[in-house]
Amino acid sequence: MSRGGAVPQERLEVLWYCIAAAGLVLGLRLAQMQLVQAEEWRLAAERNRSQMIHQNAPRGRFYDRHGAAVATNAPAFSLIFLPGKERRRQDLKPLADELSRQLDRDPEKLLESLEQAVREESAVRLAENLPTQTMFRLSELKTIYPGVDLIVEARRYYPFGRFASHLLGYMGKMNQREWRRRKPLGYRVDSRTGRIGLENIFEDELRGRDGGLRMEVDAQGRLKRILDKIPWEVGSNVHLTIDAAVQRAADDGLRATSTGRGAAVAIDPRNGDLLAMSSQPDFDPNAFLSTDPDEVKSTVRELSEFNNAISGAYPPGSTFKPIVGLAALSEGRVAPDDSVFCPGHMTVGGRTFLCWDHKGHKTVSWLKGLAQSCDVYFYTIGLKAGGAAIERYARAFGLGIKTNIPLKNEKGGHLFGPESRRKSGRNWWYDGDTLNLSIGQGELTVTPLQMAIATAALANRGSVWRPRYTQKIVYADGSPDFVKGPERLGIVEAKGAAWDEVQRAMEVVVSSGTGGAARIPGLLVAGKTGTAQNPHGQDHAWFIAYAAKPGEPASIAIAILVENGGHGGSVAAPVARSMILAHFGMTDPAAKRPNPPAVPAGAVSPLPPPLPLGRPR
Amino acid sequence: MTMARAVRVQSGLSGRVDWTYVAAVAGLIVAGSLAMLSAASTTSMYSAILQKHFIALTLGVTLFTLTLAFNYQVFQDQSKFVYALAIAIVGATLVLGQISRGQRSWIHLFGFSFQPAEMARTLVILALADFLDRRARKIDDLSTILTGLALCAPVMILVLKQPDFSTALTFAPAIFGMMFAAGANLFQLAAVFGFGGAAISVPLIYTICQVRFPLASPTTLPGMILATSRMGWATLAAVGVFCALGFLAWKAASWMRVQVKPIAFAAIPILLSAALLSGIVVHRQLKGYQRNRFVSWIAPQSDVQGASYNVIQSQIALGSGGMWGKGLFSGTQSQLGFLPERHTDFVFANIGEEMGFWGTSLILGLYMILLWRIVAAARQARDRYGYLVCAGLASTLAFQLVLNVGMCVGLVPVAGVPLPLVSYGGSSLLVTLWTLGIVANIYARRYALL
Repeated sequence: MSRGGAVPQERLEVLWYCIAAAGLVLGLRLAQMQLVQAEEWRLAAERNRSQMIHQNAPRGRFYDRHGAAVATNAPAFSLIFLPGKERRRQDLKPLADELSRQLDRDPEKLLESLEQAVREESAVRLAENLPTQTMFRLSELKTIYPGVDLIVEARRYYPFGRFASHLLGYMGKMNQREWRRRKPLGYRVDSRTGRIGLENIFEDELRGRDGGLRMEVDAQGRLKRILDKIPWEVGSNVHLTIDAAVQRAADDGLRATSTGRGAAVAIDPRNGDLLAMSSQPDFDPNAFLSTDPDEVKSTVRELSEFNNAISGAYPPGSTFKPIVGLAALSEGRVAPDDSVFCPGHMTVGGRTFLCWDHKGHKTVSWLKGLAQSCDVYFYTIGLKAGGAAIERYARAFGLGIKTNIPLKNEKGGHLFGPESRRKSGRNWWYDGDTLNLSIGQGELTVTPLQMAIATAALANRGSVWRPRYTQKIVYADGSPDFVKGPERLGIVEAKGAAWDEVQRAMEVVVSSGTGGAARIPGLLVAGKTGTAQNPHGQDHAWFIAYAAKPGEPASIAIAILVENGGHGGSVAAPVARSMILAHFGMTDPAAKRPNPPAVPAGAVSPLPPPLPLGRPR
Repeated sequence: MTMARAVRVQSGLSGRVDWTYVAAVAGLIVAGSLAMLSAASTTSMYSAILQKHFIALTLGVTLFTLTLAFNYQVFQDQSKFVYALAIAIVGATLVLGQISRGQRSWIHLFGFSFQPAEMARTLVILALADFLDRRARKIDDLSTILTGLALCAPVMILVLKQPDFSTALTFAPAIFGMMFAAGANLFQLAAVFGFGGAAISVPLIYTICQVRFPLASPTTLPGMILATSRMGWATLAAVGVFCALGFLAWKAASWMRVQVKPIAFAAIPILLSAALLSGIVVHRQLKGYQRNRFVSWIAPQSDVQGASYNVIQSQIALGSGGMWGKGLFSGTQSQLGFLPERHTDFVFANIGEEMGFWGTSLILGLYMILLWRIVAAARQARDRYGYLVCAGLASTLAFQLVLNVGMCVGLVPVAGVPLPLVSYGGSSLLVTLWTLGIVANIYARRYALL
């Protein structure tokens, strides 16, 4: 030691302990971070370096009963932007201007989404479903502006356009509540889901699992490389009982009617398969997936989500008469040969009830009564059968009760009669009520779907089927197909002779009665026209029909309603005719008939206009 | 020292060199070079960085060997020159230095850029060791502490002027460690450094209050605290509170019949008030980026993109390395640019990411061996001067380790202190190797025979 004696060595030891303690703390912290919490930090690093660009998976397809795809997928190109960390507004401006030129969009809005992407450091979709030409032009931008890229994904595509719109539904963005509900199921905020109809009902089956590109990006957000491609999983395919040809005939036929509003339902009377369900006015579901957001907006604004076929309840008018006839004939109160004199009106309880033909049908028996739809004849047999019997039969045919087809907003219509009056606490029933019921007026309302099911029951002699639209679901994951057999809701009990008479009369309606417009040589077509009084305006035109190849059971039962269409025989029957032709794969022997002129409304029912085909006698 | 040691003398210098120590230094340099090779590979000046690093490394090793060859006591003999050199280089920096990132802390000389603050720190340690050695007989005096501080103050103030807050901060543990190891009066040491600590923590508290409660009303505690920073009635009131505290302590002590000099109680309000006032002065001097560093330490999650981005990215890098790391050149955080300053201040995080826990514990272990050997050198030094130099160097090196690694793991605020030997930096490496050469020299000459 040079100066000052011994050094305080113990101070040095204290210093060393402090240093060692500090080292220990650091070591423990390192062990905590790198050994204990390593997984959390690893995930954070992974989030840092990778960005996921989702690719919408192809949605399951809808097939018609013959295997034609009615809703499928098309490839779509989307323009994405990967933001960097050090982007400034002035850097984004030229990109926004360039893109607005290419995409024909507002540069301010584009700049806004670009800035949002930069703020949130997440990739943003600038445009979806780009047309191919635009895609090629934009691919040049990739080289000029870092962060711009194009990806391919699947987009819903409806090859037939305006086709079973209300039944199939459409794809759209979720609202806030739905988004909250679906978020845990792996939906993204910009995911599209089925909004109405089958797209909505089969959402869980149809949706695939979105794939994507997991990309490595650097701190500036520049895409370094694609880490991996997460393949998408296709959704399950749903095979429908719909017959695309019949459906198209129904859609086109209704659209071509004078008002273009109405509904058509076709059912297989052998098992309840829904062959077609059309509601007009309809929409093109492809429009909701348009590249132009303004077009989507206007489509949504003009959208009529109301499915007339199940949600519209209308008085059935004369199409109810076969049921009244069956009740009267089967209950034994009326024989087919019993004749009634029709002077053009009938007076019951001091009130005069008119026949639609004010001149009167003179002497009328069963066949002529139904063929000419003579109101006085049905007043008479209705009184003989009694309101209670008619109500019982109508209920057996499923009227007044929801079919519980799994579609939203189905209405049950309203069946009235002595029994329902009693149940609702109104204990009066007059003959006048029976008269109104006998011609399908009064409080009676039915949906076109109910009418189609009742028609099918008329065709198959009493089997009331639950309408069925799913043939099978072929699951994408290979689990066994979902197949649902036909389900009988009930049976209409009636005498065999009564069935014979009703069916024979319905055949006569088409072969030489009011429904002549539906006549097809070589096929057995039976039907009934209806012109339902409508307190709000023009009469609704109805037509119900079923058809069979000679010697075979009927394979199609149809109910057509044209809102304010006027006379059923002239407006609704031709639609049924083209549907039947489509069903049997036949071409129309008398193509392109001009539309009959509109008829003014009469007191009860207007005179049928001159028909081009099958004029009533 | 004694005959018992003298018999173990071996012939030649090499026989007396602490090879464990040299191996630890070499290990740290190798690990640092590896990390730098990987971390700098994405920068645009990769080859220039490599070139500079290996030139500095060659020079540093030469300097280390040369320092080992000459007797360290020359620094004590030329203490006045050493001190003058310290003043001169930091003074020259202020005049000639180049401004970079708002700091005038680099001198460009003969094509090399040189950061004199670190060299000045070693020079100050050497000068202070000489001073404390001379004052050995009066080591108990308060005057020793105050004069020692006065000796260091000019250099520190010149460094703060650059302004290089973090390097100036690293002077403090060296000074404290040396005075402590020299045997200074503990009470005086605690009072002086307590005052210094309080003067630094007062602005820290102000910053915390400003960040956490930016709109605090004057009736709440944070509001009152902030009010004292405005040099008005609130400041006076705080001083009054400190006086009351001292009085209460005195009363409590006499009630409990504890025998303490009354001066100790007078010291409480005086020190606290002085600390408050200097704290307010420092608070007003603080730069925005320094405040931000505090903020990012206090609330790292508050603003990921802002000041705390570095802390979070560093922690992600370190933690995600796990046990074995992602492999050199394969760290996503460093190679993709998420980790800032990845070959300089945050190189330890890069090591953690690419080499994992074994890499970081290797570095930490090598550092602990290094510090242990420095302490051992102090223990066996032949004279008081060598003992003090080693104690000072151990303190400052340990402090830098804590500051740098602690920053990377999110335990201390981002101070911008490099990890000596491991972080890239030519002048830092050169100065560190020279400094460590002095320690090796002190150890090698422990038997007083050479």
